[in-house]
Amino acid sequence: MSKIANTVKPFARPLAIVGGVLLIVAALLPWVTFALNSGNYPDRATLQYFDAPFQVTGFRWHMLLLGVLVLVAVFAPIPSKARVIRSLGWGGLAVALINSIFITTEGGGLGAITASDGNVAFGGIVGIVAGLAVIFAGTGLGIELPAKWNIKLARPWAYLVLVVTFAAVLFAVAQTLTAGGQGGPANPYAGGLFLSFLGFAAGLLTALNGFGLIGWISELSEKHRAFSVVVLLACALLLPFTNAGSEYWMTVAANIGIYAATAIGLNIVVGLAGLLDLGYVAFMGIGAVVAANLSGAAASKVGIDLPFPIAAIIAAIIAGIFGAVVGSPTLRVRGDYLAIVTLAFGEIFTRSAQNNIGGLTNGANAIPGVPPLNLFGKEFNETLSIGSVELPAGVLYYVLIVLLVAGVMAIFANLKFSRIGRAWIAIREDEDAARAMGIKTGKAKILAFLVGATLAGLAGAVFAHKNGTVSYESFKFLESVTLLAAVILGGMGSIPGAVLGASLLFVLPEKLREFSDYRLMIFGLALVLIMRFRPQGLVPDRHRRAELAGEDVGGVPVDEVHEHDTKGATA
Amino acid sequence: MSTPVLEARDVSMVFGGLKALQNVSLKLDEGKVVGLIGPNGAGKTTFFNCLTGLYTPTTGSVLLKGDVLPGDPAKVTTAGVARTFQNIRLFPSMTVLENVMVGRHVRMKQGPLASIFHGPGYRKGERAARERSSELLEFVNLPGIEDELARNLPYGDQRRLEIARALATDPAVLLLDEPTAGMNPQETEATRRLILAIRETGVSVVVIEHDIKFIFSLCDSVSVLVQGQLLVEGSPEVVRRDPRVIEAYLGKPPDEVEAEVAAMVEETQHTKAAETTTETTKPEGEQA
Repeated sequence: MSKIANTVKPFARPLAIVGGVLLIVAALLPWVTFALNSGNYPDRATLQYFDAPFQVTGFRWHMLLLGVLVLVAVFAPIPSKARVIRSLGWGGLAVALINSIFITTEGGGLGAITASDGNVAFGGIVGIVAGLAVIFAGTGLGIELPAKWNIKLARPWAYLVLVVTFAAVLFAVAQTLTAGGQGGPANPYAGGLFLSFLGFAAGLLTALNGFGLIGWISELSEKHRAFSVVVLLACALLLPFTNAGSEYWMTVAANIGIYAATAIGLNIVVGLAGLLDLGYVAFMGIGAVVAANLSGAAASKVGIDLPFPIAAIIAAIIAGIFGAVVGSPTLRVRGDYLAIVTLAFGEIFTRSAQNNIGGLTNGANAIPGVPPLNLFGKEFNETLSIGSVELPAGVLYYVLIVLLVAGVMAIFANLKFSRIGRAWIAIREDEDAARAMGIKTGKAKILAFLVGATLAGLAGAVFAHKNGTVSYESFKFLESVTLLAAVILGGMGSIPGAVLGASLLFVLPEKLREFSDYRLMIFGLALVLIMRFRPQGLVPDRHRRAELAGEDVGGVPVDEVHEHDTKGATA
Repeated sequence: MSTPVLEARDVSMVFGGLKALQNVSLKLDEGKVVGLIGPNGAGKTTFFNCLTGLYTPTTGSVLLKGDVLPGDPAKVTTAGVARTFQNIRLFPSMTVLENVMVGRHVRMKQGPLASIFHGPGYRKGERAARERSSELLEFVNLPGIEDELARNLPYGDQRRLEIARALATDPAVLLLDEPTAGMNPQETEATRRLILAIRETGVSVVVIEHDIKFIFSLCDSVSVLVQGQLLVEGSPEVVRRDPRVIEAYLGKPPDEVEAEVAAMVEETQHTKAAETTTETTKPEGEQA
């Protein structure tokens, strides 16, 4: 990398300018030479673009924005210029590459993105070249740490900044959720457009991080923690009023929420206590089965109909008991061996549920007809009108699940910064030293399993009512792995990380429906890439960041970074 | 005479066929500093592990203020024996303050429910633990770095942080395993003064160390372990003059060494001759 940096150095600035201009040019060029089998590629990327050449939308608009930002970054006196430029370059490259790949595969060859039948469309190629140019230019400009801002704000201004930020986050979430539209036969390009949007968003966010904005805002929200939590919760509850407020997106968001809550529970076991659990989804399954059986569904084997809160608590407790039982081998086995024990437990659950052992799961027939939740005579799967605003069906479930996630987050945060949480982290770091400090490691580890399983059981109970059917199919090994991946991808031990990880991993399959054959492959590839380039996770916990990013991006050892920081502080 | 704070009675530890410790006894009176010295592999750390419950002695027992200690590190720490490790074992990815607060674990009472809901009593206990931990950091002369990650601390500071973490358990006895290993003279002197200050607070201390000067200038009494056995025990003056200690550390006077070398050479030749004989007889042995 340093070789490239040295070669590029003298031309870095002009190269960045050229790259930025090319990004803009790429945005204004056609991208596809002919109408593809499943119809024109969206955003006027096909030659139809000539009807209105400057009506730039969608991914082409993203390219244009990135190009303009690169030029701004080159000429404006901003901190960490190189880092910002390089991130924008990666964003441009991702957008160009992802769309080009999709167009090529859909169009059946490279002709689709070059020249065919006398038509030319070089948008994609120019975009890729431009992206690479900007990345190289950024590398040549030198390697810097993300900028640190030292702006202190008075309380009202800080609040204003936070409100604006969270409103922007709300907008971004709605955009991300709906990006590419609802996947399916009517909209064959949803997956590609969604991935392209993710590439754009990731590039932009990394650039903002390099610019120092994200660091500054997270410090600000850390300082005004209570206020931030309230505003964030309000923003989450406002999502139904945005363009994501349709029944379909509400369902998707609610499902993500259920898995996010479960992932946070898993984060206690894996992220805090450092115990690898490969069968975690079984606890969610236990919660769901128990809740379904107590719901008065026709297929349930227990003929009682308990109100939801009581049923949910019972489900959570039973799942928790199983958690403690599964956790008890932790007294004797560590590391890989424990992972195998939990793997076996997950498999035992799936198999016994499938074969209806114990007679509570109804085997392959599942338990259908779990009634929807009901509050004050209002069924949760109906539409809701507040004044003149008609909200789509599923909104109430969405609200319930947002509250569930908020509650689970609060529990996680409280535990993490408590006597118990410190004991868990100490065990993760050095079990023998933890014991020498008087921590009863066996009890603490079982407690981690118990708490994690209880939360999963609670999420499972909500899952049962929301989906109406409880089948063993929903709680297989793959789900456990996906949850674990969500935790690791987001950043172990970090709360926003688990939510972000769960969102990504459970939105992607929804969005990539039309490539169901390649879905897992793309999924796996994305995970490998993220783990290679960001092993500490997307939103790492402070502790983990130090542990796994032994070197800063660009090869600055942590010690040097540290010295650098202190120097900056004293200067 | 009053009961010693810590007493080891005829502690033996056997690993398979290896006798790591043989009938080692030790008495530590309140407010004293005892040094434990001996060549590498003498069993000093093994002895520490027996004292702290990490190992259960094969025979013999360890008593704290007259009560037999249980064979479990967590319970031993709760009872009032804290330790540091020869190779620093901090929680590297926790902050300096959090490391010390982990030490407060046994003196705090919050259970899982209090930890989840953070009630009023919880906050009080947490604040008290935080304050005590800050005090201890001040005491070991590590002020103002509470939010640094332990892994980023310089070596000497890590050693002192480990001592602060051990002190956070409110011990009656503090066991220090080579607290000055790898330190320069100034740092060693600072550590010496720190240990004396710890003694002032009423905590009794056992120190393992190779630095003889350090031990003799610090300790009220010194025990010498050689090959798992207690060789000498007594005041620094007595131990310093003991010929057996001098021999264990410095070897014998030159003429004796010469004689011994000659004996060794002879013995080696003897063994070689013996080996040749064994080799020739070996096939027979195998056939049989």
